[in-house]
Amino acid sequence: MINLGKDLSRLLSKDKVKTDPEDLYSYASDSIRYYAKNNPDAVILPSSAEDVSTVIKYANKNSIPVTPRGAGSGLAGGCVPVDGGIVLDMKRMNSIVEVNRGNMTAITEAGTVLSNFHRAVEKENLFYPPDPQSMSVCTLGGNIATRAGGPRGVKYGTTGNYVLGLEFVLPDGEIINTGGTCVKNSVGYDITHLMTGSEGTLGVITKVISRLIPLPPCKKTIIVGCKTAELAAQIVSTITANGAVPAMLEYISQGATGFLNSYIKTPLISEMEAYLFLELDGIESQIENEANKIRSICKDLGVSDIRVIEDAKEAKSYWDARSKLQPILQSFFKKLIVEDVTVPRDKFPELIRALPEISAATGLLVGAAGHAGDGNVHPSVLLGEVNDETNKKSEEAVDMIINEAISLGGCISGEHGIGLHKSAYLEKSIGKRQVELLKQIKKAIDPDGIMNPGKIWTREAK
Amino acid sequence: MRDFESYKDFMEKCSHCSYCEATCPVYLEDLLETHVARARMELIRAVLVDEEMPVTDRFKEIIDRCLLCTNCRQTCPVNVPVEEIVIAARNKLYKGKRMGMIKRKLLKQIMENRGISGAMGKLSSIAKVAGVKNIPDIPSKSFDDQYEAGTYPPEGEVRAKVVYYAGCATNTMFPETGDIVMKVLKKNGIEVVIPEGLSCCGIPAISEGDLNTASEMIKRNIEVLSKTDTDIIITDCTSCGMTFKEKVVNSLDVDDEFKEKAIAVSMKFREITEYLMDIGLTEKIKPVKEKVTYHVPCHRGWSETVSDAPRKLMEMIPDLTVVEMEHPEKCCGAGGAFFMENKELSEGIRSKKTGEIKQTGASILITQCPSCRSYIGNSSDNDLKIMHPLNLLLLK
Repeated sequence: MINLGKDLSRLLSKDKVKTDPEDLYSYASDSIRYYAKNNPDAVILPSSAEDVSTVIKYANKNSIPVTPRGAGSGLAGGCVPVDGGIVLDMKRMNSIVEVNRGNMTAITEAGTVLSNFHRAVEKENLFYPPDPQSMSVCTLGGNIATRAGGPRGVKYGTTGNYVLGLEFVLPDGEIINTGGTCVKNSVGYDITHLMTGSEGTLGVITKVISRLIPLPPCKKTIIVGCKTAELAAQIVSTITANGAVPAMLEYISQGATGFLNSYIKTPLISEMEAYLFLELDGIESQIENEANKIRSICKDLGVSDIRVIEDAKEAKSYWDARSKLQPILQSFFKKLIVEDVTVPRDKFPELIRALPEISAATGLLVGAAGHAGDGNVHPSVLLGEVNDETNKKSEEAVDMIINEAISLGGCISGEHGIGLHKSAYLEKSIGKRQVELLKQIKKAIDPDGIMNPGKIWTREAK
Repeated sequence: MRDFESYKDFMEKCSHCSYCEATCPVYLEDLLETHVARARMELIRAVLVDEEMPVTDRFKEIIDRCLLCTNCRQTCPVNVPVEEIVIAARNKLYKGKRMGMIKRKLLKQIMENRGISGAMGKLSSIAKVAGVKNIPDIPSKSFDDQYEAGTYPPEGEVRAKVVYYAGCATNTMFPETGDIVMKVLKKNGIEVVIPEGLSCCGIPAISEGDLNTASEMIKRNIEVLSKTDTDIIITDCTSCGMTFKEKVVNSLDVDDEFKEKAIAVSMKFREITEYLMDIGLTEKIKPVKEKVTYHVPCHRGWSETVSDAPRKLMEMIPDLTVVEMEHPEKCCGAGGAFFMENKELSEGIRSKKTGEIKQTGASILITQCPSCRSYIGNSSDNDLKIMHPLNLLLLK
């Protein structure tokens, strides 16, 4: 008979093992409360790859599910322990081992909080662009596991573009290193990027080697009020087609602007159907050039509310407000279903156009707030009441959003990962044969299926 | 502080986003999610609202291990009043009797006298000499001993008139801060009224979840302060400020006869530095050739300018070098009397703070919070001078 708490306390130290019901309860879900189904049986807080290896070997021997966890700030249920077992909380492994200016790389432990990492590299005049809106808490390991991204994705791509190498613990407990500090690497299959986006199903990421770029010296925020959503979409596609690439290009729909106003000095105008938040970065002359281009595009299209924010503190207030939007909406509505579909950038207007139709067809509020510039606009279904009928309607709305995105050549997740939330749509997105391939890879690396079971694909589809 | 039942809806407001992980000093110490506001809210709901989990020692520990620093609330995108929910949970759990009877009586006496003074002050000094740790130094003369109740005219023309509420810590631990407040106001043309019969603001009892004692103190103060005839009531302590601004009105029932008076008093409260930055200084500012850094008190959420004002003041002082520490807003670990019962945890939090202070190379630490001044001052680094921002105006 195994006694998880006792056994693991003996293998690690007592301080790293939590089995009180209150602790287990605290680790049952991520940012979306309704994903919580089961408590884990133990929460482990390792402080080294060796600790992780010890836990994994024990779990493997006893067929205990292991769910790795960063900040628990995910939106897809990726770190939810659906079968109980062990939750590995990686946040105590948070050392920034090295920031190498000469090579423009950094080595960090997986539990490092993203904003701490940002600060550390920016001190050296270097830049790590990925910026999930939970960056004040989310961890690099979690970012890599979910291939997280954020507003800067439009110009700089997402986490996957910056991973050069990993240390991770395989499901049999062996610690391996992939990739490295070379910026070029063409040796065999790219295991580093197989782990990137694997959502804890293939092993536990313990260390990360990241690629860095020079820190842009200047930035400027522009806020554009759009009388119609159509106009906003038109501005976005015109900006992109004219070769101006903002660092961020965010779309905020009418319903959301009111929520942001308590954080912003000059309120957003409620009559506007949409707002665009843009940030330009680079050298000063380039920013000026792009700002002029954007101004003239907006002017030609008849925009009346265009704000170029010179004051850094005021600019920050817009971006802070933006980063709070999802929690604010989640708090205000009884249920918020955040989708993560991404369409080719030039198809963004078509996706935006489809949302009011989905709203009308289901009778539910369907909004959008997200990364317009890269086609990842987070359509969301917002429920004021939760009952069988609204739940059913919301499923229909999600179906429609996903079908629309796929028909436009899009994918079902741009930056949140699949987790529990989108597993039912996996086959629709990538096809049966690819799902089979994923399962074969899983089987090859984790034959006993101990790593984060129940994620990415649905069990029924097995 | 309302009773527990009235906070149920506020608990539901928590969106579960986890952003509170960024600033909770207790969580940042052991990095266990159980100790962060998101989990606290869920557990309080599960145990005390839905009763799906029993009250256990571990649950009590989780409720007790909160500094009530309000950093989570200030980080929260929807401003969930976490500290008030924790206080209400303490009230429901302990019914005001978290401490033993003797300690409770002692605390009440201290609150009634606005601090430890007289015979008790001597007792605490003896205890300190005898090796009892964590007891702050108690000067022999309190602020009340130095300044009797009454009206103190300024030098020259009267520009304004204020009431000065000197809290417990200023009264007995830092009477020199009170003296400096009086002198600066006097030099800058401000008439000061010191009322008779004030008590502690109530925050020590509020923190214990002892809402009856708190409301006794609050009513006494409101009675006294509402009889004064100024538009402004000054405090030098950010925690007293928070109590009067946010907690006093909340602590009274809707139909309480004091409610209206309490609102009027609450509206008048200003922290001394922000008040002076608003009204402006008439006295010429003397240069200070020192390097300083500013520790922002946790209880700052009640005013938008309470943390900007000292920075503004410091900018105005000739020759002063100001260096920001990496996390000026991070808690020092004191939490009123929290550090006495959570020694290891508080010392861990404090050592991070003192490390950051040291890195700035500053010789003076500025902060409005007396609890921080005392607790950081009691750490091993003795070279550091610690003072209220106003001290900078009278440095010799």
